[in-house]
Amino acid sequence: MSNPYEILKVNQDANKGEIMKAQMLAMKEKKYSLQEIAVAVRQLLDPAKRLAADYMFPTKIKSKRIQKIVVEIPVDEIDLNDIDENTFDSLK
Amino acid sequence: MEVVIILIIAGIIAYVIYQSLPNPKFQKASSLFDSGNLGEATKILNNIFEKHPDAPAKLAECKLKEGLNAKPKSDNEAIKYFNEVIEVKKRLPSNASKAKYEIIEAKAYFEIAVIQFSNSISVSNAETKVKNLKDNLRFIDTATKSGIESDFIALRKKHLSELAEIYFQFGTQNEKSAKLIEAIQQYATAKDYSVQSSNSKILYNATTRTGICKLKNKEHFEKTILEDVNKAPLEYKRDFFYRYAKKLLQDKEYSEAEKVIATHLNFSSPANDKIKELLKSKQVKSAIKKVNEINYTIEQLYENSFPVEDVKTLYETIDKRIEEIKSVVPTLSDRLQALKPSLFNKLLSHYISAEQYASAINLIQKYASFWESPELLKNLGICCYGFAAQGNLTEKNHRIVTSNWLTSVFSDKVILKSLEATTWDDNYTFTLTDAIGSNYEHHNDIPENVNYDDVSDANISIGATQRELLQQFESLLHKTISDPLLAKVVNDCYTEEKEALEKIVSVINKDILFAAPHFAKTYGLNEEIIKELDNDYVEYLNEESLEAGISYLKSNTDTYVREYATAKESVSKMVSAIRNEKLNDLKAVVADRKKSLIEKYETINDSAEDLVFNAFTLKIEQNEENENLIPLMDESISFLNQNEKLKAQCSQFIRDFCDSNWKKKPAVKLLELLIKSIKYNPSNYRAAKSITILINNNLMDIANDATTSASQIYSLIDDVKKIKSPVLKDALKELQVLRNKVLSSMGAEASKTILLGYNLNSNGMKLKKVLDTMQALAGGSSTSSIFDLL
Repeated sequence: MSNPYEILKVNQDANKGEIMKAQMLAMKEKKYSLQEIAVAVRQLLDPAKRLAADYMFPTKIKSKRIQKIVVEIPVDEIDLNDIDENTFDSLK
Repeated sequence: MEVVIILIIAGIIAYVIYQSLPNPKFQKASSLFDSGNLGEATKILNNIFEKHPDAPAKLAECKLKEGLNAKPKSDNEAIKYFNEVIEVKKRLPSNASKAKYEIIEAKAYFEIAVIQFSNSISVSNAETKVKNLKDNLRFIDTATKSGIESDFIALRKKHLSELAEIYFQFGTQNEKSAKLIEAIQQYATAKDYSVQSSNSKILYNATTRTGICKLKNKEHFEKTILEDVNKAPLEYKRDFFYRYAKKLLQDKEYSEAEKVIATHLNFSSPANDKIKELLKSKQVKSAIKKVNEINYTIEQLYENSFPVEDVKTLYETIDKRIEEIKSVVPTLSDRLQALKPSLFNKLLSHYISAEQYASAINLIQKYASFWESPELLKNLGICCYGFAAQGNLTEKNHRIVTSNWLTSVFSDKVILKSLEATTWDDNYTFTLTDAIGSNYEHHNDIPENVNYDDVSDANISIGATQRELLQQFESLLHKTISDPLLAKVVNDCYTEEKEALEKIVSVINKDILFAAPHFAKTYGLNEEIIKELDNDYVEYLNEESLEAGISYLKSNTDTYVREYATAKESVSKMVSAIRNEKLNDLKAVVADRKKSLIEKYETINDSAEDLVFNAFTLKIEQNEENENLIPLMDESISFLNQNEKLKAQCSQFIRDFCDSNWKKKPAVKLLELLIKSIKYNPSNYRAAKSITILINNNLMDIANDATTSASQIYSLIDDVKKIKSPVLKDALKELQVLRNKVLSSMGAEASKTILLGYNLNSNGMKLKKVLDTMQALAGGSSTSSIFDLL
């Protein structure tokens, strides 16, 4: 079931005039049947049904642009060689 | 006199001959042995060595005893005697008792071995000690052990334990000299001996020292040794684990190192502090490295325009990275966490634009608490719609898809979110007055252009939008599912989920997420819904709330909804038992003490009788003469407290049954059934008539000796007398007429005789009783009266 916005190739904020104009163009293009076009127009001219058509557009959740992470953490420089493994030598 | 002398001489000769025989000599030797005179005993035994079978063994025993006596003074002398015991074997005659000898021989061997062991361990030189112990082990292995095997085993273990100790010492000496490979070999030998001798101390020590040597030598070791290391002495453990911790740090196994340090190096020491600092430093560096890897991945994503598989891989691995670093650098892990929504968005946008709805649905469903976000819930609904539109619904997935869709559409907040994205609606206001996701003004926080006013041209109905969406989905289901069986399953499921949602919306006042049952149960949201329904019931005693909650029950116990469901289920089980004619199943329901539950809930209590009545009606229509229904009816009537309709039904059924079976069933049986019928419905006129006829027939059978059930019949008649039924009482009056006919047929004299009751034979008595019974039932006195004759 195609979305009426797709059938008429109008954006979500199209006004009545734009919708009627789009109807004419869609009929000329003949990509969709006359009935489909008529149904699409009826849907977009009825606010309740238009809201239903709007529902079918996905919504993005709030998020930031993907960015690299800044690493600003001081690191203690301790050498492994500073660790004397014989510290607890049990054969001394 | 001569005879006496001859006798004396003969006696002496006999005595001498006797004394020279082996047995007496052996007995004498034994006595000498017992008294400790081993020398004399030995002489005699040597003398009869080949003549008496036990002589060799006894001789050996003498030697053994001599050895034991010599042992405290001199080991060498003792050994000499013990060896003599063994030497006896060489000249053992064929008739000798070998078994007895070998017992002594074994003891001799044992004593030698004990002395040799004692001598071995007293040697100071370790190599000599080892040689002596091994020699003695060989000696033990070849020794005779008859009767004292366990002693030899114990002695052998002592040898092995000593060897374990010695080889361990060899190992430590080599280790101190940094000859690690030799040390490891010596420890291995010590371990072998310790296992054989159950010397666990050496076992744990050798294992630990082996581990330490391998660590020193930078060799690999099996982690299975750690269990034994844990049982070693403290100083060994610390030595081992400190070295091991350093190795783990070298190998970048930081989490393992952390565990080792926390478990085994948690005592106060500057060395421990230092290694902990080193660990921390390494962990931080590792975390930074991981973050840098992610940064590199992000760079690549930008360069390659975010290929979806790479985004997915990053998204799926990011949680693991967060876990790895969060305890070390929490700030970095928080920043990683913040990447997730952005990655999620990228993936979801891709999946939706590529119409990969299954992937999109899975992605959303895995997002933590996604249902709390109207945006995500809306996207889920869209994806489920798209998935269904592609014809992807199957028996396996239809429930989750329809449940997701319904939850999304029923959420008023989801619909309201759509308003934020567009401007065409700026000239309108929107009303929730008939929204399907609310029953009245119970949303706490609504946008400015939303209200609860009446619908008009400028005040657009949100409810109409929701219904439009539902209608579109329903058309979709109709169009995309060609298999009629699947279509029925899907539509039934959709209807079930939708009706359940509508019920809870109509009852619950609180502003919560109204989820469809499958959705709610999957994500644990059913708990809150059931809680609200329970609260509604408690406050208003509204059983509709409980009815609404049945679909949402999962494992919830101890709620009113559960109780209500149980009561309802009991009635269903009753109906099912009736349909299947399973009396035991019905009895099981009745016995389960669910009666009080059913009575507690008015709607169930009120409907129970009708449901059961209808079930019986169907069964009666199928077969009017189904006798199995009677006991089922009895159980049902006794269980339900509202049962007048059932009683009337049962009464009628029994009456009709008896009518159909008048000639097939015995009269007594029919009477019994009809009594039940009239008891259930005292106004059942036809039952009353039938009872009257049956009583008459049964009594006539008694009078004519045509029945053997007289006592049963009279018992049933007694039962009839107790029934309080005006209809029955009236019908029974007919018996008076029948009685009079009987009397008329007899003639006056006979009638008089019978009624007076004097000098009657048994038949006469029988007839009198019958007539009296008829009289009593018809309402007259049972005693005879002269007026009866008139």
